[in-house]
Amino acid sequence: MTTPKTEFSWLRFYRAGARIGFQRDVQYRTMTFVFLLAFLVEPVIYLAVWQNVAASQGGSVGGYSEAALAAYYITWTLVRVFNLAFDPYAWEWRIRRGRLNDFLSTPIHPFHRDFSFFIGSKFVWTALWFPVAAVLTLIFRPEFNLSLFNIAAFGVAIWGGFAVRFVLLYLMGLANFWTTRASAVFGVVIAGELLLSGRLVPLALMPEWVDSLASWLPFKWTFQFPIEVLIGRLDSDAVWSGLGLQVLWALGMGVALWWGWKKAIVKYAAVGG
Amino acid sequence: MSSKPAGAVRLALLHWRIGALNEMQYRLNFWVQLFNSAIALATGLIAIALVYGHTTSLGGWSQPQLLAVMGVHITIGGILKTFIQPNMNRLMEDVQEGTLDYALTRPADSQLMVSVKEVSLWSVVDIALGLGVIGWSVNELRGDIGWSHAVGFIFALLCGAAIIYAIWLSVSTLSFKIVRTDSMMQLLNGIYEAGRWPVTVYPGFLRASLTFLIPLAFAVTVPAETITAKINWWMLVIGAGVTVLALVGVRAVWRWGISNYSGASA
Amino acid sequence: MANPIEVEGLSKSFKVPVRETGVRESVRSLFRRDFRDVRAVEEISFELAPGEIVGFLGPNGAGKTTTIKMLTGLLHPSSGEARVLGYRPWDRERDLLRRIALVMGQRNNLAWDLPAVDSFVLNQAIYGIPEEAFRARQAKYVETLDVGDIVTKPVRNLSLGERMKMEIVGALLHGPEVLFLDEPTIGLDVTMQRRLRNFILEYNADTGATVLLTSHYMADVVALAQRVIVIDHGAILFDGPLSQLADRFSAHKKLTIEASDLPDDLSHWGRVLERTPYKVVLEVARESVSKTAAQMLNQATVTDLSIEEPPLEDVIDRVFTRAGNDDAED
Repeated sequence: MTTPKTEFSWLRFYRAGARIGFQRDVQYRTMTFVFLLAFLVEPVIYLAVWQNVAASQGGSVGGYSEAALAAYYITWTLVRVFNLAFDPYAWEWRIRRGRLNDFLSTPIHPFHRDFSFFIGSKFVWTALWFPVAAVLTLIFRPEFNLSLFNIAAFGVAIWGGFAVRFVLLYLMGLANFWTTRASAVFGVVIAGELLLSGRLVPLALMPEWVDSLASWLPFKWTFQFPIEVLIGRLDSDAVWSGLGLQVLWALGMGVALWWGWKKAIVKYAAVGG
Repeated sequence: MSSKPAGAVRLALLHWRIGALNEMQYRLNFWVQLFNSAIALATGLIAIALVYGHTTSLGGWSQPQLLAVMGVHITIGGILKTFIQPNMNRLMEDVQEGTLDYALTRPADSQLMVSVKEVSLWSVVDIALGLGVIGWSVNELRGDIGWSHAVGFIFALLCGAAIIYAIWLSVSTLSFKIVRTDSMMQLLNGIYEAGRWPVTVYPGFLRASLTFLIPLAFAVTVPAETITAKINWWMLVIGAGVTVLALVGVRAVWRWGISNYSGASA
Repeated sequence: MANPIEVEGLSKSFKVPVRETGVRESVRSLFRRDFRDVRAVEEISFELAPGEIVGFLGPNGAGKTTTIKMLTGLLHPSSGEARVLGYRPWDRERDLLRRIALVMGQRNNLAWDLPAVDSFVLNQAIYGIPEEAFRARQAKYVETLDVGDIVTKPVRNLSLGERMKMEIVGALLHGPEVLFLDEPTIGLDVTMQRRLRNFILEYNADTGATVLLTSHYMADVVALAQRVIVIDHGAILFDGPLSQLADRFSAHKKLTIEASDLPDDLSHWGRVLERTPYKVVLEVARESVSKTAAQMLNQATVTDLSIEEPPLEDVIDRVFTRAGNDDAED
């Protein structure tokens, strides 16, 4: 028997996979909206705290006025919508339910299923995000420094942030193949991300050495960088190099993922699901 | 015949003992929990240090005082994770699968049954850590924190735990009507994070919501105010009132929920 | 040309930690874990010719699912060789995965919240199924299984039987040449089981696909398989045509005689299973059944006589109880 003709194309697959994610989230839009609210409580808390600090210091802290802080954290919300990625904790559930076996007996790597699914769902989440952002804007009165270039670059940077974080979390998820206590690993990484990505607070408000450290890690490119692109805190050189670094981090960690996955599968297939 | 409260306590202790013994087998989980809680604590301390690197007072709270808020937040969080959340998760699961009958067909009160069945033993680490942080804060403050504050604190803490319980059970009871409530629980957990900071940092109506709508103010800020001697003693009285209201309210919600339960249906 | 499935000396053992009891042992186990070897599959060999449908029979824990997992690349063997369409399954080559399908009973590959058609489109994209072939196959399967009205309903709203039909359709859209079925009819009602079996038979007849099927249900095997492999405790006990199964494992046949003047004591002819004034059913040793029948024809006025194989379920049951009496496995 000869290999039957296959018309596989990546574009077609990603379109189909994205459609699945999109349709599913449209179906569960109420639930998705509540989840969105749950995720966006976090930046409101940070914003309130730092606006307080700014107010107590005469209206600004670390170069951020109250309005600038509002711009930072409101942009944060959209960046967050985009950098939501496949939960590394979900692997254990997936393995136990046999879902991984289902995926492994098909010719497509689970990464692509998940990645395309998330891409599709981004569109639903973004649509649901608009009203929330509008309300936050009314309450916190942000000040933006928008330019066409910034907006366009932001459009690319949020997807870049998504790609970097998605690969990062997927890579972390591999820990599940070696230990059932992977939560310990994740705890450390998420704590690191909180402090070193601009998630908790703009890196400018951190001690300098932290800011330098953050430049060597992938976290910054998932939160801080896209945010700063939009609120106009970066000159065009920084924007271009940042976009480039996003690509480098995504590809670099992608290679690590490709290699790590091979090892993980050998481990998995030694004992099965 | 034993009195009802005594019987209730006995039932709770029985379930908790079983749950605890069960989890004691997995001693590794203790270390993992300790590790994770330590990381979370370190992150919290760093956040506070960051804030106070730029200011000396946040919403009228000094750094040692804010430590107390964090300590209370972690302690109540520990109570939440140990005693409350496991039961809420179990409740929502049982409602979804139609396996709630065990709680409804026994002589014990159904609300009691679903509230004490499960326990997450190793999360007590958080309770211990939280109390430790509070102790550290009190130590830093010395000042005029007396025994009355300590007693008031315990009272406020218990009220706080009760309020949190009432809120969580009320939302979980919604699962009787709206089957998938995990998103709401996630939202609730997100809102709880707001209690990490004193309610005075939040603007206008957010502060009002956290005082009257979802009374985190009474759950976290008030106990912290008590132990740091910032308290206006009337707040404790109001807090007690809110607690009673909350417990009465959740009872009503529970009754409503049960009447909506359709049982083991396909 | 090589056979689509070739298995040689395939073995799989697992290291299972020994459960500790008692405080002293528990403490000890914190420092040193003892493992024991569980031989799930031991040196099995068999081959499937193109277009064959083979039934894999065995009790729980016999090694059926382990074998299927090895043949679909989900598990690495401890030793031995296996080839599916010429590939080693655990290399998980994309070209192989495009040509096989695995369907497990009570499991779903389809998106839970969406209509099955949406998952079909995804499958088309995953396998790169050409548009024409996809449309034709989808239409044909939907018609054969008569699921036109439920194919647009969310999968979670379907009954188990309807869901299995959707699963099978989804699994065959890419026209696999080798089909692995693991308990496909479990939990389904009799009509649905029959429907699915017929569908598989049709698929095999139309495409000449090779099918390896495991099942608890004798009916599945009888309906579908020309050949049966019996496995227990990881070893193959029998590999051959279904008709020879009883020959091999059952020492007895059933002799039914209708006569009005049967002697009272028939115990020396065989074990009496049933007795009424005009009929007796005897269990007779295989070798002597013809002789016994002849003798009874002489001794009584026989109006009807039949010799039957014991029901296959009983045969299989006895095989497993006999072989499995040694130790209780996990």
